[in-house]
Amino acid sequence: MVTFNREVLRIDPERETARLRDFIRHQVLSVFKRKGAVVGLSGGVDSAVLACLCVHALGSDRVLGVVLPEKESSPESLDLAMRQAALLGVRTEVVDITALLEAFGVYASRNAVIREALPDFDAARDRARIALPGNVLSRAAFNVYTLKITTAREELSFRLKPDQLRAIFAAQNIKQRTRMIRLYYCAEKLHYLVGGTTNRTEMDQGFFVKYGDGGVDIEPMAHLYKTQVFQLAEHVGVIEEIRSRAPSPDTWPGGVTDEEFYFRMPYHTLDLLLFAWTEGIPADDVARVLELTGEQVERAFRDFRSKKSATWDLRELPPNLVAQGTALASAVEPNPSEQS
Amino acid sequence: MKSESDIIKSFVVSTFLVGFPGSEIDDETSFLDSGLIDSMRILELVEFLEGRFGVTITDSELIPENLDSIRRICRYLESKGISATGAP
Repeated sequence: MVTFNREVLRIDPERETARLRDFIRHQVLSVFKRKGAVVGLSGGVDSAVLACLCVHALGSDRVLGVVLPEKESSPESLDLAMRQAALLGVRTEVVDITALLEAFGVYASRNAVIREALPDFDAARDRARIALPGNVLSRAAFNVYTLKITTAREELSFRLKPDQLRAIFAAQNIKQRTRMIRLYYCAEKLHYLVGGTTNRTEMDQGFFVKYGDGGVDIEPMAHLYKTQVFQLAEHVGVIEEIRSRAPSPDTWPGGVTDEEFYFRMPYHTLDLLLFAWTEGIPADDVARVLELTGEQVERAFRDFRSKKSATWDLRELPPNLVAQGTALASAVEPNPSEQS
Repeated sequence: MKSESDIIKSFVVSTFLVGFPGSEIDDETSFLDSGLIDSMRILELVEFLEGRFGVTITDSELIPENLDSIRRICRYLESKGISATGAP
């Protein structure tokens, strides 16, 4: 069993960078046999790290940074993405996807649900977001999403019905899926592949959209916890403003962090707990190291188990009879000449 | 007359355990530990309980202590004045 301590997730960034450089170069040039890599630059740390690694592996002339803002993105995201790209010397393509999202009815259908809760909701004036209850370590609570709306006068909270929540997620997920379409369009024109930015924390707990930001060709950072991505970020040259920015899905005009939207605790605690749970470290040992109670640790472990279980399909290929080994036997009639 | 426990179990089995035998859960089965509950399903459970038993579950009551098993739900409903037969 691994010895658990607060430094257990510390990596050697130089060695890890070299390992990822080799991985990316091998995948792009030898396995996929492509000419380069497309990176969707969000202004966040994961995509910035990936861009740096791809440049390190392939050279800046074989990397295309694609920036895909929409009207509800933070304005800071575009600025930071472009500054990171400029520092790396990579080409960029900026496409505002607002019109595409409007054509899909993303804003209209989502806002219609919001107006079921607050009829006076005005998307031009009010700021909406959905969030889970506060820190899972502070109190036991189910993962129940609350719709929060900030008006000029007050902050309002509404509990949604299940069909309302489904409608909101279905609409919002189109944002990530639209970006996937554009990234593949760019990649296929250039005979590049699409690099993924999902880290291990997100992969394990299902914090990505199926065929959205999960629809990529390679996932070089899927073995790195978020805090390890931050360690790498400092080493590979991610600009300080990106490194100090609170991680966010950047899909809600009301602004919501990863912690508020999904994980219910800060990454520096989450990753250690998630590692401990994955490695089977006894809760009491974890509690002692992290100065938590055993109950708090068990509560976190239960939350991990629940999220991982609920999102199993994000990490698996679609079930099919070929994989199950029964397809041919039932599909093909026996040849009479082979029967004796 | 069906008991409260039977009514809740029937809902859980028909909604969360489609295709699985009902004997897989008992009154003590933790919905969280058994992976039966996620962020959508808890809303379905709340909607069912509020509709079927006429209770209002406040945000502060949406905790595993009250809703994480059939037994806990029954205890919670009794605290809200719902009898063992599901009547107010």
